[in-house]
Amino acid sequence: MTHDHDHDHDRTVKPMVDEITDFEVLEIALRELCIEKGIFTAEEHRRFTEFAEQIGPTPAARLVARAWLDPDFKALAIAEPLAASKEVGVDWLEPTGFGTPSDFTAFQILADTPTVHHVIVCALCSCYPRPILGNSPEWYRTPNYRRRLVRHPRQVLSEFGLYLPESIEVRVQDSNQKNRFMVMPMRPEGADDWTEDQLTEIITRDCLIGVALPRVGVTTNIVVDTRLAMHPSGE
Amino acid sequence: MSTAAERADQLDLVARLKSAYPELPDAPPPDLLDHDRFTAYMKPVHDVGGEPDAPIKYEDKDYEYWEHMTYVMCEVLAWRGIWLSEERRRMGNVDVGRAVYLGFPYYGRWLLSVARVLVEKHHIGLTELAERMAEVQQRYAGGLAEKALTAEPRFAGDGSQVKRNSHIVHAVGKGDPQVYAGKAAEPKFGVGDAVTVRERPMLFYTRTPEYVRGATGEIAVVAYESPAPEDETWDRPDAKPEWFYVVSFAMADLWHGYTGAATDTLRTEIPERWLQPAR
Repeated sequence: MTHDHDHDHDRTVKPMVDEITDFEVLEIALRELCIEKGIFTAEEHRRFTEFAEQIGPTPAARLVARAWLDPDFKALAIAEPLAASKEVGVDWLEPTGFGTPSDFTAFQILADTPTVHHVIVCALCSCYPRPILGNSPEWYRTPNYRRRLVRHPRQVLSEFGLYLPESIEVRVQDSNQKNRFMVMPMRPEGADDWTEDQLTEIITRDCLIGVALPRVGVTTNIVVDTRLAMHPSGE
Repeated sequence: MSTAAERADQLDLVARLKSAYPELPDAPPPDLLDHDRFTAYMKPVHDVGGEPDAPIKYEDKDYEYWEHMTYVMCEVLAWRGIWLSEERRRMGNVDVGRAVYLGFPYYGRWLLSVARVLVEKHHIGLTELAERMAEVQQRYAGGLAEKALTAEPRFAGDGSQVKRNSHIVHAVGKGDPQVYAGKAAEPKFGVGDAVTVRERPMLFYTRTPEYVRGATGEIAVVAYESPAPEDETWDRPDAKPEWFYVVSFAMADLWHGYTGAATDTLRTEIPERWLQPAR
């Protein structure tokens, strides 16, 4: 089956009028009742929304670029990842004083070597280092990726265009409790004299998950096809 | 108002939604349900690691407004002490049952878990939730037609009497799991120890994946202290923290017929109660 058309044609729900969906109704009803009962305030909701809208993968890329350039910083990143995160502007205790609750505050950085390649997954849900890497991509949350990566990692990596020789150990990190993990890939060849800013450009989110390797000239993720939202958030 | 024919159509649609073994009748007599099938029914549905599946096209997706708002609401409820993340993870990823787990969008389950926690903990009544949903529906009758999706609370409530957990007091300035540091006994295992994951009866909830149970691996990291998720997920204040370990397994040991390199490994986090010294 080919997908040459826009994304709407295979939707089960294609309303004649632009109707509010069941999920939208439920979300609004719950939010209103929470505010009326003082469970949380509109101001607290707004503050967390603003916090959530400014997270993304840039600090993680900068952290890796700096580690490539500075062996002392690399040692810090591995030994004290929360301290290293602060150096690139991410305080894992924000915005509540005990972190973003779903992400906890136990962070580990997995450094690749010439003989070990790391890749992360959460087979139980979608555990992901959100404060430093932003929200996980949709495919990372699919039962498909979660089912298969823990059992057939080389096949799944090949679907992202990553073919690793037998001489490299594939090390799958199933992140299923309170630790959050991110991959520190190795610096590619051909980027010897680059600045931190230049290096940051080629350290994509996919590289930090471990489904891609940084390459000179590649600054985008592997999966780029994007399903549009019916009623998108204002981001 | 629906017609009798429309109601019959919806019943037909529901009847086609299956999440049971097709070889057994509905509500089978006990002699037809063997141990393996009992275990399969009791397996927490979020535990999908290793289930057979074929390649699909991986796509990104833009956020619906309600998805973004749902994520924020879940986090704010944890921030304000209504639930622990571990309670949310059970309610949204497991308690929903297999049909909804596989049938709903990702954030649809998060949203259901909000309704579930607020009703179960007596913060809101299911009757008033249903009435408010009907009211919101009515507000948008005839379609969105350029109207923005907005919450319109009638007033801001006084939250001083709302029951909140003590986690939000203790964890501030420390984080989680750091708030539990120093509260477990000495770790039973050290880096390099060979350990076997216990196999034991299982009901309702765990975060120790089925695919490692019975397998032998090696302690890679002595990670942190925390209550076991099976207790933390019901917010038991008396649950004693224990050590969690990152355990390394050889893929060839985990998976029958593994075809990758012999050196390939998998690491995952397991609480101490699930581990025993390898024999």
